[in-house]
Amino acid sequence: MNKIIQEAIQREAQLATRRHFLSSLGTGLGSLALGSFLTNCSSDSGASFASPLAAKSSPKLGKAKSVIFLHMAGAPSQLELFDYKPSLAKFDGKECPQELLAGKKFAFIRGVPNLLGPKAHFEQRGQAGHWISDYLPHLASQADRVSFLKGMHTDQFNHAPAQLLMHTGSARLGRPSMGSWVSYGLGTENQNLPGFVVLASGGKNPDAGKSAWGSGFLPSIYQGVQCRSEGEPILFIQNPAGVNSDIRKASIETINQINQETYQEFGDPETVARIAQYEMAYKMQSSVPEVMDINKEPAYIHEMYGTEPGKESFANNCLLARKLVEQGVRFVQLFDWGWDTHGTGLDGSVDYGLHQKCRQVDKAATALLLDLEQRGLLDETLVVWGGEFGRTPMQENREGKKLAYFGRDHHTEAFTMWLAGGGIKPGVSYGETDDLGYSTISGKTSVYDLQATILQCLGFNHEEFTYPFQGRNFRLTDVFGKVIDPILA
Amino acid sequence: MLLLDSEGIPDWILFFGHFHPMLVHLPIGMLLMGMILYVFSKKEEVSRQKSIAPILWSTGITALISCTMGWCLSLAGEYDTDTLFLHQWLGISLALSSLALAYMAQFWSLDSFMSRFFKPGLTLAFILVMWTGHLGGNLTHGSDYLSTYLPQPWRAWLGMAPREQKNEQTKEQPIKIKNLQEALIYQDLIQPTLKQKCWSCHNAEKQKGKLRMDSPEYMLKGGANGVIFVAGKPEESDLIKRILLDPSHEDHMPPKGKVNLTEDEITLLQWWVKEGAHFNKKISEIPFDARIKTILTKYTQENKSTENYISPILKEQIAAANEADIEKLRKHHVLVIALSAEKPFLEVNAINAKNIGDKELQDLDGIKEQLVSLKLGGTKITDSFLQQISTYPRLIHLQIDHTRITQQGLSYLSSLQHVETLNLVGTNLTDESVVAIAKLKGLRKVYLWQTKISEKGIKFLHEKLPKLIIDQGWKGKWPLDTLNIPIKKPE
Repeated sequence: MNKIIQEAIQREAQLATRRHFLSSLGTGLGSLALGSFLTNCSSDSGASFASPLAAKSSPKLGKAKSVIFLHMAGAPSQLELFDYKPSLAKFDGKECPQELLAGKKFAFIRGVPNLLGPKAHFEQRGQAGHWISDYLPHLASQADRVSFLKGMHTDQFNHAPAQLLMHTGSARLGRPSMGSWVSYGLGTENQNLPGFVVLASGGKNPDAGKSAWGSGFLPSIYQGVQCRSEGEPILFIQNPAGVNSDIRKASIETINQINQETYQEFGDPETVARIAQYEMAYKMQSSVPEVMDINKEPAYIHEMYGTEPGKESFANNCLLARKLVEQGVRFVQLFDWGWDTHGTGLDGSVDYGLHQKCRQVDKAATALLLDLEQRGLLDETLVVWGGEFGRTPMQENREGKKLAYFGRDHHTEAFTMWLAGGGIKPGVSYGETDDLGYSTISGKTSVYDLQATILQCLGFNHEEFTYPFQGRNFRLTDVFGKVIDPILA
Repeated sequence: MLLLDSEGIPDWILFFGHFHPMLVHLPIGMLLMGMILYVFSKKEEVSRQKSIAPILWSTGITALISCTMGWCLSLAGEYDTDTLFLHQWLGISLALSSLALAYMAQFWSLDSFMSRFFKPGLTLAFILVMWTGHLGGNLTHGSDYLSTYLPQPWRAWLGMAPREQKNEQTKEQPIKIKNLQEALIYQDLIQPTLKQKCWSCHNAEKQKGKLRMDSPEYMLKGGANGVIFVAGKPEESDLIKRILLDPSHEDHMPPKGKVNLTEDEITLLQWWVKEGAHFNKKISEIPFDARIKTILTKYTQENKSTENYISPILKEQIAAANEADIEKLRKHHVLVIALSAEKPFLEVNAINAKNIGDKELQDLDGIKEQLVSLKLGGTKITDSFLQQISTYPRLIHLQIDHTRITQQGLSYLSSLQHVETLNLVGTNLTDESVVAIAKLKGLRKVYLWQTKISEKGIKFLHEKLPKLIIDQGWKGKWPLDTLNIPIKKPE
């Protein structure tokens, strides 16, 4: 009951805006002046005032301290990369059995499509014997470091809702993203960097847009900060001409003083968030250009990742992710666009375009694992790789016509993701699909299960990690999710 | 759940049956109340008897109702038949004797001959109520319910086994197979799982769904719904089907609140049924595929020490650090944070204070009892700092990469027997320091990338600490450069 009342007060406080402030300015001015004598809000006294990003302990002992989520936006084909199906090759070109299609809906497939055999060559890799195709030769060399979830499934067959579901636990807008939850729960170790950073490559933001790293109903200080790997990492982070650092500092301090008064008057947590954001922005003016500059990295690191400074690429983002985690950032979200291989064009074909996309990420993602490991960071960093759903064992027949290239449609019933690092047992493969790779027959895991597992690695019980909103305690996994124990160390 | 266990019995019977455990306390209470009034009454015998007559009538009537409902409940057939038989007839006797006593009190209290039987009758009823009640308790909670927590001296007087020993037997123990060639599939592999997960409700005393699973004969006999498995056909076997149901399904086994079977146990059970559900064959006589083989090796091997490992230090109970000591450190801008909110083990991280050195870090002494993780990469610490921390009793994780430490400093650390990870990346350590590293007997992982330690030093470490994982970093070259191989364009 108390929580509801508290929330009602907060809601009301959020309604009190500039208009309120101006109207009370007459009487408020005196107290404002007084307040500035009594309080001191310089940018390093954050701890004395409410500091929403201060590092916090996890409720339970967690093995991971940070997460790097490599999201292949568009959804990579598990049937060309990890889920080896010799039987599917045998039935290549045959009509898909009716019982697999009855009552099913696809994004583009109409009528009866033909089955499409795997277009890549598979081999068993490492001691664990994971099947990994020759599209990912570098990752294949590290097969014993990673664990696969081969029985993933989702309930959304379009990109934006599926991505939202993956990152916010809901296919609809308005929920906080996983990174926001994590920085809300754990804060950030480095007081000069945000707790949640987003990097995108592939020439396009993910279809779900900024909501995939939004803070939903959590205070907005927890939303992901998108940095660019090309040009200025954050737009307008440099002081404009004629404004030096001292002037900027003085103005921010003044703004924060006013904001603090406002907070004391109305008690709106968003004001605290705003103060923290101003402080963070100021601190980021020096810290971000430094951490986002990969030019100073030695040549062998560039060789390792395949990075080219100044360009927007997944490799650059992987290197940045490592640098950010090294600097204590909690959650780094990478999106790489261009995995939507429908077969409508050469770049979207599973035998050419997909292979090319793999080359863009294979070395860099593998280098990320190795680089984290050699710095002693992989033990405390959870790396997750995957898309928002899988791809069909059938060749796409858009509008019922045969397409010029080999492609696969969106598929919700089975896809593969891999995890490595903090809290993950290496070399495990969990979940199995049927002989055609159509649906999961054992070890079925949902998007919620994955989220519950990620939270578990960080030391949270996903059922207890909640935030009160509109009279109800919300959690990332809503009312679902079961921790996937077999892959946990 | 219950409806399903007792197919063929109308719901309403079981509905009323479930009132038995509640309603049964009415006659018990009434009878005892009547006795109290009778014993403490200062009136004449006649009026004593007369005054409790209404109570005894009510006792008898509610006891009859309870008996009827008890009978309804017994139809579910989940109970040990011997105890049930006794409980049932004692209950009926009690109901009848209450009615008899009531009759005596009301109509024979003036009859000097008949009223002599009242007191013994009442005593008999008392004995009956105690005995029946106890048996009823045994039926619901199990016959060892009362004695489970019996303290030790009394146990010995009663000739019972000490409780610790009993616990040991019932505790879930990982199933281990010593010799895979000789092990029997049922006795060594299947039965231990059934014992852990099924027997608590399907045993000699309790037979939910009229099923016992504690011996091959009963397994073959099945329960209220017939046989529980069809040899060779797991997909037609209730045993397998129910285990595989969604845990929220009401037919799922084990039921809600009980520990589920693990994925491996389910796979083995399916395999056992599929291959004929033999009770006497050896594992080696039954064909198995790669998947079963992986599971079997798990049962034979010792659990790998890396799996689910938590340092014993973190299981200790310790007092929290003094807030003033923590505050002192925070003044130097180091992050002092508990590893988890559950326990006061501390991590100190200098991520925001790279300029920190030995002098400031002397304040660590205040929290040395709680300190388990120290992250001082890239700081200005020197060997004398390592000397300072050499007496810290609980250090597990020591990150001193990119610092100016030397082998001299490392040699101070030999007293830190709980250190499990040591990060020395980017230090100037040479082969001379490996002796100091080898002295850390608790070490599980060491990071030596970008140090001057050669292959010779690594070899020495491997010999001294065979289980130690040594990370030397990326070798500087990828095994293959695929990017030069063109991808064939489709036609």
